[in-house]
Amino acid sequence: MLVLGIGNDILTDDGIGPVLVRDLSELNNNPDVRFETASMGGLDLMELMSGYEKVILIDAFRSREGIPGTVYFLRPDDFRETMNLSSLHDISFLTALSLAGKLNYPVPRDIVIIAVEILEDRVFSNVFSEPLQEKYPRILKEVSEYLVSECVFNE
Amino acid sequence: MKRITIDPITRLEGHGKIEIFLTDVGDVENVYFQVPELRGFEKFCEGRPVEELSRIVTKICGVCPGCHHMASGKAIDGVFGLTPPPTGRKIRELFYMAHFVHSHTAHFYALAAPDFVMGPTADPAERNILGVIAKVGKEVGLEVLKQRRLAQEVQASLGGHQTHVVLNIPGGVRKGVTIEQRDQFLEIGKGFVDFAKFSLQLFRDVVLANNDYVNMILEGPYNLKIHSMGLVDKNNHVNFYDGKIRVVDTEGKELYKYKASEYLEYVSERVEPWTYLKIPYLKKIGWKGFVEGQDSGVYHATPLSRLNAADGMSTPLANEAYQEMFKTFGGKPVHATLAMHWARLIELLYAAEHFTQLAKDPDITGTELRAEPKEIVGEGIGVVEAQRGTLTHHYWTDSRGLVKKVNIIVGTTNNNAAICMSLKKAAQHLIHAGVSVDQGILNQIEMAFRAYDPCFSCATHSLPGQMPLIVNFRDPEGNILRSVKRD
Repeated sequence: MLVLGIGNDILTDDGIGPVLVRDLSELNNNPDVRFETASMGGLDLMELMSGYEKVILIDAFRSREGIPGTVYFLRPDDFRETMNLSSLHDISFLTALSLAGKLNYPVPRDIVIIAVEILEDRVFSNVFSEPLQEKYPRILKEVSEYLVSECVFNE
Repeated sequence: MKRITIDPITRLEGHGKIEIFLTDVGDVENVYFQVPELRGFEKFCEGRPVEELSRIVTKICGVCPGCHHMASGKAIDGVFGLTPPPTGRKIRELFYMAHFVHSHTAHFYALAAPDFVMGPTADPAERNILGVIAKVGKEVGLEVLKQRRLAQEVQASLGGHQTHVVLNIPGGVRKGVTIEQRDQFLEIGKGFVDFAKFSLQLFRDVVLANNDYVNMILEGPYNLKIHSMGLVDKNNHVNFYDGKIRVVDTEGKELYKYKASEYLEYVSERVEPWTYLKIPYLKKIGWKGFVEGQDSGVYHATPLSRLNAADGMSTPLANEAYQEMFKTFGGKPVHATLAMHWARLIELLYAAEHFTQLAKDPDITGTELRAEPKEIVGEGIGVVEAQRGTLTHHYWTDSRGLVKKVNIIVGTTNNNAAICMSLKKAAQHLIHAGVSVDQGILNQIEMAFRAYDPCFSCATHSLPGQMPLIVNFRDPEGNILRSVKRD
């Protein structure tokens, strides 16, 4: 199993995925789980996930009425886009998954996307925005409880 | 698990859109392409040891991290007054050729091919890589994935990580190439060359054999008569890693050939109130507006401009393909925007061949990896060709090597004026009073800038892959008449 934090850790809240994965890996007690970070979408992401049975992606997300710090637990069918699942130079993540299906490419059968609502992702900084800083301990707890409930690791 | 329906905000929204201003009768008066801005990179860098920058700049952009890493490494060499030894330099180039194979493959098959294999006005549901694979066959799709993966593995093997590269250090590279790695690279290189040759043949079969496409390339709205820029070696052959910057005019005559360190004498940047992205132009000519022709200061820095600005390619097969392209067009320079796709494939072949040349070079397994820093000069400029244009990094430091100032001109920024002009020409050709703007027309407008392989990630981070093209139609007073969005 792979837990993958995607985003840019020097672009304010965009780094929420990689930072969460760094902290979650400290809590991990399951040797069969890999914790990785990346800043890629589309085909690159599909290739990175290849060979795993299950992948949990953690990414930043913005919605119109969203409250920073809200955590969504999604499946690929549930959403259109998070912040880093695609890039202009690549196909979208969902198209990449469809392509993998057509080519019988070995991608995980079980994919979960944990999306964290953010406030700021256009300013270079390695510090979160104030709302995210304040809510980070609660976000970490919520995500780690989810991983325990999914038997990724034990409490 | 809760199921939710949310309309996400993408980074394109807000500022990233095409604004089309119509005349009173409904023809296109003007077109503006706007992209959002990321702020604070220079401030983020200030006060840091300059050698950290080659690692930090790979995070500016998830699309071309290797290009920033190379330009940054060269600028840092300059700050310390260093020239890498042959082995160090060649390992950098080896990495960089794999980066080009990876990027050019993605652009052609995922972004460009759907327009030609499926057709520019085909149903958007089919005009994508899935449609391409359905037509050309699964085995081609698997080969695309295989070659991209191998190119990525080479980069990870040399650079320590596939995107957050840590290859360059002041004066060279941190790690050498083993005999085992070299042997693997030789095998991989053969595959790269075969794949590039196949891709060029596919282009001939699908595009050049189709008269409608040839007419669209030659006589459609996708032509722009502007100057061409590119790095060249001492023989005036295309070089991605080093050389002098050569600019040829709209007739193909050399205008300038200058060292990277002289770039500020030749390029200036203009600011317009309607976009955050600066607009570079040729300083000695001056800014004459968004106009074509010999007297214009507008240039482009793209695969096509690199081929226009050079006298040939330094590898045999790519040089044959280079001669074939210009012969087909009846000489140099070529101003057909869609010919950028052909030029990109010629560059793919060059990158594949040069990768193999470097892997065969006895220096590649040498042990002299770097020159040791002995002094701090305090200023360095690094220029490379990124996949999407000439990339410049310019750093200033204090006497301890701490960053005081950073200036970066990214590849796509060079092409800002050209992209705006190409969009305007396409829109003026396609949109008239009484014409219903459908998905096919929107895609044909999008083709005008897709050819440039634009990447605003450097200035704007990531945008959605299948770009939700937002087009606002405005009357002469600026009021929105209607908006069209393609998800």
